[in-house]
Amino acid sequence: MTEFPKLTYDILTIGETFESDEHLVTPEDVETYAFAVEDHHAWFFGPSPFGGPVAHPTLMANQALHLRHGKYIVHAGLHAKMEFTFLQPIEPGMRVRSRGRVIDKYERRGRQYMVTEYVTEDRAGTALVRGQFTQMLIPEGTRHGDH
Amino acid sequence: MAITEAIAVGQELPVLEKEPSQRRIDAYSGVRPRSIHTDEDWARQKGFRTTLAQGMMSTAYVSEMMTRFLGAGFVKGGTMSMTFVKPVYAGDRLTVRGVVKELRPESGGTRVVVAVWCQNQRGEKTAVGTASGLRG
Repeated sequence: MTEFPKLTYDILTIGETFESDEHLVTPEDVETYAFAVEDHHAWFFGPSPFGGPVAHPTLMANQALHLRHGKYIVHAGLHAKMEFTFLQPIEPGMRVRSRGRVIDKYERRGRQYMVTEYVTEDRAGTALVRGQFTQMLIPEGTRHGDH
Repeated sequence: MAITEAIAVGQELPVLEKEPSQRRIDAYSGVRPRSIHTDEDWARQKGFRTTLAQGMMSTAYVSEMMTRFLGAGFVKGGTMSMTFVKPVYAGDRLTVRGVVKELRPESGGTRVVVAVWCQNQRGEKTAVGTASGLRG
């Protein structure tokens, strides 16, 4: 049986890896994303310079950002930094998954951070997006404080 | 913008205006309990005045601005690096801006590097960074 420990700064190990499940990118995914971010560019719903429709380049970013949820119970966190390199367009009909590796963790001004590098690939293993993100951990029983 | 038009350092990109309502945040993040994005009580317990938009939504806004500016050269070959410096709350109004800061030869074309940022209705920057794409 898979166990999901609570994510804490201490339990997190530099070098540990994550992998998402495979996700079929559907036109409904693209439509929902377009509504969410108010971006209905014609290329997402019809012909594009790449042939048929493509998805928003950032469509699968949450698959990467949620990698740690496949291994841990995450109490709360804030996204601090995000980097992308868009290598190939994501297209509806693709089956994609993300893989990540913790490359750093650090404490700064009393706050705890983890840094993950990731790649999102299609079923053939072609890299579609590479990147890196930094997430702040909000430990259980604490408040981030208002801004 | 037509790809044949000249691009110059210092040029401002067309501005985008965004309103991340709770309904749009719900669609982006997926509604679930114990989420600072979609559960207002939980967000308050965590020290925020209300729910927050995911920082990632601001990367989507920058992506739109860059795609409209550079077209296919951003969708394939684009880059983005963003730091989220202030929370964006449900109901905030964001302005997304960019200024060309560098033109660099690459792969027989030009990499256009743009300083990008989002600011809220109080004029506070919420996300800052750079994005780039290729122009043939």
